[in-house]
Amino acid sequence: MRLKSKKAERAVVWAVWIVAIIALWELGAYTLDAVLHDPMAPAKLPYFHSVVLGLVSYAGQLFSAMLVTYSRALIGFLIGTAVGFFLAILMSLSKTMEDIAFPYLIASQMIPVLGLAPIIFTLVRDMDTSRIVIAAYITFFPVAVNTLSGLKAVDPLKKDLMYSYAAGTPTIYQKLNLPFAAPYLFAGLKIAAPLSVTASILVDMLGSSSGIGVQLMYSLYGGLKDLFWAAVVMCAFMGLISYYIVVALERIFVPWARRKEA
Amino acid sequence: MSTTEQAALHTGHTSTAAPRNEIRIEDLTVQFPDNKGGEPVVALSNVSLDIRRGEFISLVGPSGCGKTTLLRAIADLQQPTSGRIIVRGLFPREIRMQKKYGIVFQSPVLYDWRTVRRNVCMPMEIMGIPKKQRTATVTEMLELVGLYNFGTKYPHELSGGMQQRVGIARALAVKPEILLMDEPFSALDEFTKEKLQEDLLTIWEKTQKTIVFVTHSISEAVFLSDRVVVLSPHPGRLSAVVDIDLPRPRSLQTKQMPEFYEYVNKIRNSFEGV
Amino acid sequence: MTAGKAGKVLWPLAVGVAFLAVWQLGGIHALLHFKPFQLPVPLTILETVIDNLPKMLSDTWITASGALTGMIIGSLLGFLVAVIATMFPKWGYPGLTLVSLFNAIPIVALSPIMNRWFDDGFGQKVGVVTVVCMATMAINSYRGLNDLRPFTLDLMDSYAAPGSAKFFKLRLPNSLPSIFTALKINIANGLIAAMISEYFASSTAGLGFSIKDNLRKAMMAKGWSCIVMAALVGMLLYSVLTLVERRAVKWHASQNK
Repeated sequence: MRLKSKKAERAVVWAVWIVAIIALWELGAYTLDAVLHDPMAPAKLPYFHSVVLGLVSYAGQLFSAMLVTYSRALIGFLIGTAVGFFLAILMSLSKTMEDIAFPYLIASQMIPVLGLAPIIFTLVRDMDTSRIVIAAYITFFPVAVNTLSGLKAVDPLKKDLMYSYAAGTPTIYQKLNLPFAAPYLFAGLKIAAPLSVTASILVDMLGSSSGIGVQLMYSLYGGLKDLFWAAVVMCAFMGLISYYIVVALERIFVPWARRKEA
Repeated sequence: MSTTEQAALHTGHTSTAAPRNEIRIEDLTVQFPDNKGGEPVVALSNVSLDIRRGEFISLVGPSGCGKTTLLRAIADLQQPTSGRIIVRGLFPREIRMQKKYGIVFQSPVLYDWRTVRRNVCMPMEIMGIPKKQRTATVTEMLELVGLYNFGTKYPHELSGGMQQRVGIARALAVKPEILLMDEPFSALDEFTKEKLQEDLLTIWEKTQKTIVFVTHSISEAVFLSDRVVVLSPHPGRLSAVVDIDLPRPRSLQTKQMPEFYEYVNKIRNSFEGV
Repeated sequence: MTAGKAGKVLWPLAVGVAFLAVWQLGGIHALLHFKPFQLPVPLTILETVIDNLPKMLSDTWITASGALTGMIIGSLLGFLVAVIATMFPKWGYPGLTLVSLFNAIPIVALSPIMNRWFDDGFGQKVGVVTVVCMATMAINSYRGLNDLRPFTLDLMDSYAAPGSAKFFKLRLPNSLPSIFTALKINIANGLIAAMISEYFASSTAGLGFSIKDNLRKAMMAKGWSCIVMAALVGMLLYSVLTLVERRAVKWHASQNK
């Protein structure tokens, strides 16, 4: 009974928050539009309900654009994950390898990759390839660093046990190190997934023919305010959705990680 | 290679003198390098000891006496600085490669991502035991430690005592000939501890394995062992070996016997003499 | 001991020098079939940086100052949100979750919005960076303020410590490592956000604008030298932050290497 009432209370808190934010949004838009008479009001902050209406009326168009952007982000994401994962294993196997690679791994993050987008585009001269390269570049770092810290965090007593079974290195990785590092890998993927979507959207915007970024640019320059705001909301949702896809995958493949937290 | 031959030669020589010798520790010294570049820390200094086959032997002493280091050296988890250990005429490394050791640590060291059954299975999988046999052995082991109904649970769903029993079942599953236990019960509450001590004695009497048991509890050592090895710290060295002549099978009544207290006092006094 | 330490520096250094040498001598071009004009070699880039130093420095200053201002405002706001959420857990936590939704808005979508809100490039840049940095700081510092060791709050209660003491003597020090983590993330993200916002903005200067402008004019070496400058600024800020962190959180396990 008590538990139920606590749950209900939490639902009320959430509901109040959401209603308050929508109300504030509407109030802000109203102030801009009707009180301050800002001619740019619909562009600066449109009414909440008009954004929702925009989302509904452009739903089909935005949805197909979203799928295009996702599918391109996915390839880069997968390649980046594979590269990061193998780099982490290499670094965990060899101290020298770690000494060589780790400083560059950190330094690589100081190079603003997304800022590199135009340069990468001129290098590979192909939208899709540059998208893949950027998404992969963004993905590999959090994956490599998180997986490595997972592989290094394996309980030494568990390693001792494996040693006492006279297990070889491949067996130790398969049975102990990799399952142990799986939650760490997913922590990296959770960071990387929304980033790779952002990368894909950015490349859309630099001059692609389809995708959500194109919708954004098109509406921006075409003065289609409703479509623009709907596309922005869609972009935000895409980042969130990619995050929750990784969370769902984690629950399937690493069920013990959640149990431990609970 | 040549050291292996030496070991074989050596046992060829000693096997006539002490046929029931399981583990022979000869003048063992273990040093750890100091991280700050100072003098190395001496964990064990010139320890010699013979352990008989099928014996239940305990290593006791305060922290820093090197009892865990000694156990790890037997298990080939720690390389000696000088001296050597011979197990059944071979070096610990060869015994480990032959998969004759079972190890239980102070913490249960279970694999969070595996159920109880699959935890017990792990060493057998690695040793390539066929699946059918694995399943049978797991059932047998879980019955032995009284966890048959918990096979499909995950480690986090068990109490500390149950987790430790899974660890014991896992160590026994590969039918090791030598069981090495490093303070396996020290993190448990008194009631669970007494139960598991009795269980361990029952299992030992059934299977007749050699057990090397590290503990910091004098009464636990006396209750369980045939012999108690007393180590003293800084540097770790052997200070006494006490034969425990209490009748077997032992039970809670054993702990009420005056002889039990005499042994406990004797060992405690041997510390004060240090 | 010393041999291992030397190896930690020498190995990466040797590999880095070798990489630059291969690049300089055209190895990368041969491997990936790049034409010389597509990818300038390191010495050319270096030369370009030196030749255009005043312009480079002013562009760097424009981007870095915008990024830093946004980082400071955003981090402060984020921390404030975390503190409020900690003080009012029942109402604050959902609020924090909603703030963290800002993290989901891609930088590329934020830039055009901020472009409409602010007339000049600087304000727009600061706006984008602020939003980007706020969410990261809010989430991380909330975690630091609330992931206390078991019983530490009980212990504080046993001293009858007032709320302010609990905050300043327990929660705040406990949150320092997480705050530094967030700051490190914000340095990288803030610079990227500042540069990207310049792609779309009314800006007429700054590293991001320069990259786009030079590439349009097919001046690759100039574009690359902007990247070099951005990386240098990032590394400089990161090193400064690491030094401060080392002094501020000596007690944390991550500092024991």
